[in-house]
Amino acid sequence: MSAIAEAPSIALPAPPGRARAAGALLTLAKRRASLTSKTPRQIAVPLLGPALLATVVAPALKVATGGLHSQIDYTSFVGVGAVGLVIPLSCIFAGLSVLVDRHSGAQRELLAAPVPRAFLVLGNLIVAIGLATLQVAVLIGLSALRGGTFHITAGGVAWFVAAGLLFTVFMYSAAETLASRVTKQEDYVAATPAVAILPFFFAGALFPIGAMPGVLTAIAKAFPLTHALALMRYGFIDPSGKGLHDIWGMHTVTGEAWLSLAVIALWAVALAAISIRVFARSAVS
Amino acid sequence: MSSVSREELPEPGSPHRSTALRGIDGLGETSAPAVQVSALRKTYPGGVEAVKGIDFQVAPGEVFGLLGPNGAGKSTTIGMLTTTVAPTSGSARLAGYDVAAQPLLARGVSSVVFQDAVVDGPLSGRANLLLHAHLWGIPAGQAAGRIGELIEAVGLAELIDRPVDSYSGGQRRRLEIARALVSRPRVLFLDEPTVGLDPRIRHELLDVIAGLRTREEMTIVLTTHYLDEAQRLCDRVAIIHEGAIVALDSPSALLAGLGREILEFRVSGSPEAALAALRERRVAGSDAFAVGARVTVPLHEHTATDALAVIDGDHLHISEIATRIPTLDDVYLHLTGARMASAA
Repeated sequence: MSAIAEAPSIALPAPPGRARAAGALLTLAKRRASLTSKTPRQIAVPLLGPALLATVVAPALKVATGGLHSQIDYTSFVGVGAVGLVIPLSCIFAGLSVLVDRHSGAQRELLAAPVPRAFLVLGNLIVAIGLATLQVAVLIGLSALRGGTFHITAGGVAWFVAAGLLFTVFMYSAAETLASRVTKQEDYVAATPAVAILPFFFAGALFPIGAMPGVLTAIAKAFPLTHALALMRYGFIDPSGKGLHDIWGMHTVTGEAWLSLAVIALWAVALAAISIRVFARSAVS
Repeated sequence: MSSVSREELPEPGSPHRSTALRGIDGLGETSAPAVQVSALRKTYPGGVEAVKGIDFQVAPGEVFGLLGPNGAGKSTTIGMLTTTVAPTSGSARLAGYDVAAQPLLARGVSSVVFQDAVVDGPLSGRANLLLHAHLWGIPAGQAAGRIGELIEAVGLAELIDRPVDSYSGGQRRRLEIARALVSRPRVLFLDEPTVGLDPRIRHELLDVIAGLRTREEMTIVLTTHYLDEAQRLCDRVAIIHEGAIVALDSPSALLAGLGREILEFRVSGSPEAALAALRERRVAGSDAFAVGARVTVPLHEHTATDALAVIDGDHLHISEIATRIPTLDDVYLHLTGARMASAA
């Protein structure tokens, strides 16, 4: 090893400003994206089950049962419903990387960096949103190729994207919170079915929530996923807003849409704040 | 203020080096200490007192060692200074910035090399270095030059674009040292930097660290339980035992306290009885100590012959008699062993 040569003086790190803060956040997001791209299974695996649901199970059930007996096509109904599985699975996989970071990654180096610790969570969140967007786009594309019918309008896309985005924020924040609370990967994996899969069965992913007993319908209305799926269907396949009527029972579908969006936003903001707080507290002993 | 230059500094471990450091232009006695720790205390949930109200200061440009066994409180102290452990009470400042009230500024002037590997294994060595540069706000142009220089310096040029997962333990540790230097920290923390490495790699790393102190003009706080490392690298050392600092001085001053020569022997009977006999005859002082069956006697005013005459007269059964010069191990064992014995 040679000796370290004299080098031109490097300026002291600039005090945190907006530009520097944005740069640090971008750096953390790029790091997370680099690590994710090194493990392609994190991209592909969450997509497998939902894709099969949308392209194999939905068309088969449509043939076997005759579909929803309404104007809504069952293949596209389940195609959107499968988003309720792909986003939670994608976020749960992303949350697992927080545990890897803590046990065998560079988390302590990041904690010693002159950036707010909330940025560590937000950097991961940015990548989780990007990844979920990619997976949802592939899922909807596969559903369309399999015969699903979608009515794409600018307004519809806006509702779909807003619902998907906020639900991803909620779901990733839940995953990050869980990862900060548990110490072992085994504990995290054991909690996955309850956090990521269970709501899928109540939220009207495969059938309208009105098809369930009254008490389960009432419970379903508390899940942000129920509101997200109803909104995404309103945007892409159900302009009449039948799913939103099942939740709110009001006369104006736009009002129902805004209410459901507000519910998801409330969950998303609350969980994001909790995840940042829990991470910051768990990272410092 | 004297006009001594850094190149004229006395050798590490010299009793004059700390004084000389305070006299370097720009590092005078009026400048803020690089590290200032006051009544710093950490009690973990459950009541474990890891650090019990310690105080010390480190001058700019000084290499300061925290010595102690596992569980002594060294890493907790480093954790508080790097803001990854919240102090229970007391204060700590890095380059004048309070680590509790101004954590971002304190982190901005420091870097740390952790005891365990803390790297992104799937990423390349270069990506790990660039990450540090970006997070510490080093302009891209400067970062590239600095990284190129550092990877040459630590001998990683051939490996730098390979995933870190493919590095050996020593290569990984060298990468972490290079990473910590990318931002030219004012204070560099090295937490047990050579633990777990084979002797050859360990000596190579010590060379790198020794090179830093002469060329990089930064304050280094080093924790270790290898006393030879501290003796070789540090201007001053604090011996920390059960969360408290039990001695703080330059290695040479600490060694001087044990005299010019050490008599060491193994006793077949009670080592405490042998120590008592030697103390009664005033051949051994309060700084003599026993670890297991081995008795260590610093010789201040007596010679080894005097001591052996006493041993013969008292018919003590001893073996493996040797004389040698004192080392920091003796200082450490004297200070921590005595306290362990009194606690028992």
